[in-house]
Amino acid sequence: MSIIKITDLSMKYDSNFVLNSINLDVKEGEIIGYIGPNGAGKSTTVKIMLGLVTGYTGKVEIFGENIALGNVGYKKRIGYVPEAAEIYDNLTAREYLSFIGGLYGLSDNDVDVKAKELMKLFDIYDFYDQRINTYSKGMRQKVVIISSLLHNPDLLFLDEPLSGLDANTVMVIKELLSLFSQKGKTIFYSSHIMEVVEKISNRIILINKGQIVADGSFENLKDQVHGSTLEQIFNELTGFNQHEDIAKNILAVIEG
Amino acid sequence: MKDFLTLKILDRFQFIFKKLKVDYPTLRKILQIKFIMDSRRVPVSVGRTKKQADKDFFHISLLIYAFMGFFTMVPLAIVLNNKMALMTFIFGLIMFLLLMTVIADFSSVLLDVRDKSIILTKPVNPKVLTVAKFIHVFRYLFLVTISLVGPVMVTLLIKYTYLEGTLYALLFVLLFIFEVVLLNLFIIVFTTLLYLFILRFFSGEKLKDIINYIQIFMTLVISIGYQIIGRAFEITEIFDIEFTSKWYHYLLMPFWFGGPFELFFEANYDISIIIYTILIIIIPITAFIIYTKSLGTFENSLLKLNQGDKQKPYKEKRKFITNIINKTPEERNFYRFSYQMLKSERDFKLRVYPSLGLSMVFPFLFMFQSGFDLTKLADSKQYLNLYFCAFMMPMVTYMLRYSKNYKAAWVFYSTPISDFSVFKKAALKAFLMRLLVPIYLVESVIFTCIFGIRIIPDLVAIFFTILIFTIICYRVFGNFIPFSQPVENANKGQTVVFFIITAILGLMVGIHYAVTLFPILIYPYNFILLIITILAWKKGLNGKVNINGHHRYN
Repeated sequence: MSIIKITDLSMKYDSNFVLNSINLDVKEGEIIGYIGPNGAGKSTTVKIMLGLVTGYTGKVEIFGENIALGNVGYKKRIGYVPEAAEIYDNLTAREYLSFIGGLYGLSDNDVDVKAKELMKLFDIYDFYDQRINTYSKGMRQKVVIISSLLHNPDLLFLDEPLSGLDANTVMVIKELLSLFSQKGKTIFYSSHIMEVVEKISNRIILINKGQIVADGSFENLKDQVHGSTLEQIFNELTGFNQHEDIAKNILAVIEG
Repeated sequence: MKDFLTLKILDRFQFIFKKLKVDYPTLRKILQIKFIMDSRRVPVSVGRTKKQADKDFFHISLLIYAFMGFFTMVPLAIVLNNKMALMTFIFGLIMFLLLMTVIADFSSVLLDVRDKSIILTKPVNPKVLTVAKFIHVFRYLFLVTISLVGPVMVTLLIKYTYLEGTLYALLFVLLFIFEVVLLNLFIIVFTTLLYLFILRFFSGEKLKDIINYIQIFMTLVISIGYQIIGRAFEITEIFDIEFTSKWYHYLLMPFWFGGPFELFFEANYDISIIIYTILIIIIPITAFIIYTKSLGTFENSLLKLNQGDKQKPYKEKRKFITNIINKTPEERNFYRFSYQMLKSERDFKLRVYPSLGLSMVFPFLFMFQSGFDLTKLADSKQYLNLYFCAFMMPMVTYMLRYSKNYKAAWVFYSTPISDFSVFKKAALKAFLMRLLVPIYLVESVIFTCIFGIRIIPDLVAIFFTILIFTIICYRVFGNFIPFSQPVENANKGQTVVFFIITAILGLMVGIHYAVTLFPILIYPYNFILLIITILAWKKGLNGKVNINGHHRYN
């Protein structure tokens, strides 16, 4: 069954196409690495799927349901970690997590039990009753991640989820993602760190100027485009090959 | 988690939400979290000086509003008998105070852009959020309004029971309440449309600046208000005149509120009174209908909040002054940086500008306390009131070390700065040039007009004294690097220190007064002050500095 099915999705701001005829079919248990240069339309796609952005043309179906019909129930099965996530940081983690859990329809008690356990596992339990605005960047990110998992979602949208996390936590998250995949959960992973995307994804979608320019496993892409790393493939497909020149020019400017 | 009375009341009316197909449990959760956050926000009226303990700041601010309402409106209600005049004044005041509080304290709530990304990504119907937002705004306004108008309402009830009987008084207060509700509707609509308007033509940064200035203005009004409360009774008596309608009254909303009272309780069927009555009912309701239709537009415009706009580069003219008053390139650099920081830090402005405003008003306020006789004044020593300009120095110099971006101060110890006293000096100069010198110049000119050119040597002496006082203030509060401390730490148990510094200023004023007894002494006095000023600025800022708890010598 398709978890996500996008047909001919286009989106215009003013008269520029941000998304231009996107077609996508995502199956259960896939880990999609969703990559592209800044401003390519990555976060717009995700925001459309979450119902945050309207005014698009085309059809977006999630769990087989057309989201344009205005039924928000499908979000019960989605977990979302936005980039540089906004958070009500004058609340404590306890208050914030119980609130978010509540929005997903979980009871206070269930949330509390889960949140406590997760805070312990992420090693920030001591801060459970402190206001989030006193947290470090990594601790904050952990709270954002916990808040996206409380309701055991079947589909995860993760946008730079590892930012601010230390190497050990990063390993935990990577391991967790592969466990999720085995359990049939679907992950939509956006990042600019190609090494990570290359390792964790079993399918990579590259979007450039509002269009999908590559779609397939890393091995597939390697065969289609000459390049041994995802980084090289990325540069190749987005038509970027001036990095050496630009670096040389930067050096020249610095040296005066 | 804390439960709120409002929520318990709403629980009883769940069926209404069920009828409206609004998911009540979710609505309740959103409201609960919003109320908790309200109680943690420190309102402008409370002042940002209190330590962030687990106090309920919202309730404290309600008490303050009750006081404000009591002192501003109760005297009016007792003294004034003409109903049109009375109600016009009272509603003018309510309107002003409500608008100020809503803009100063509630803007952050109205303009919260996080709601969309945090709540609407969850299985929550957008309708629930809209309803939650409305109830949230309504509760806030309701509580603030009750606190503000409660005292005057009771006063009116007692007054008219005594004068006209119970039924009359009850009907009177009923009409009063009805109009207050209309006013509330109007205020919600007005502020929202105002923001919409500003956002349409300006950037979000501009809106934040405008709100910042309104907050500053409100703090100033509150602090000046306390100074003149005692005179409220005298002032009100002046206005107890027969009311005659002028054409421009139709443009002023408070007059509309007076209309129905005149119509129903004085049986005054003058055409102007009838027009006021019609206006007061039609305008708020029409506005509210427009508002409900434009809510969606509002949410979308909010996205603009995070948009910045291009700032003007440092002006040429300013570069010239910078080069004159700063010797080394290093100092010029710090000066420019401090100047730009002072210009853009909203927290700094919010704390400092009100005392700045006071220091502009005080010299005149105290001068005219003894009467308005200019010729008598011209020969007096009242020009020493100009020292009140220096009143803001402790506050400002104290605030210089704080910044919202205090963490960015790491650049000061990662860069090869050899001498932090240069930085401190430059920051103080930037403050003087940006804020003190303009105010002092304007006041000096006005004072010279009043007292004649004979006071010019004294003006010079006052200026030198302020320069010396600046250094004293900066040192007394500890030798910190500018912009390096978190704002939340400001004003912890510094009251005694403020008192001592003010006493030092008093001493300096005393010496100047003694000098004026022998007019010729002012010239050597100025010379001595000049020497001290140079020494103070050369040596006074050296020594140990404190960087995030680490001491460093320079």
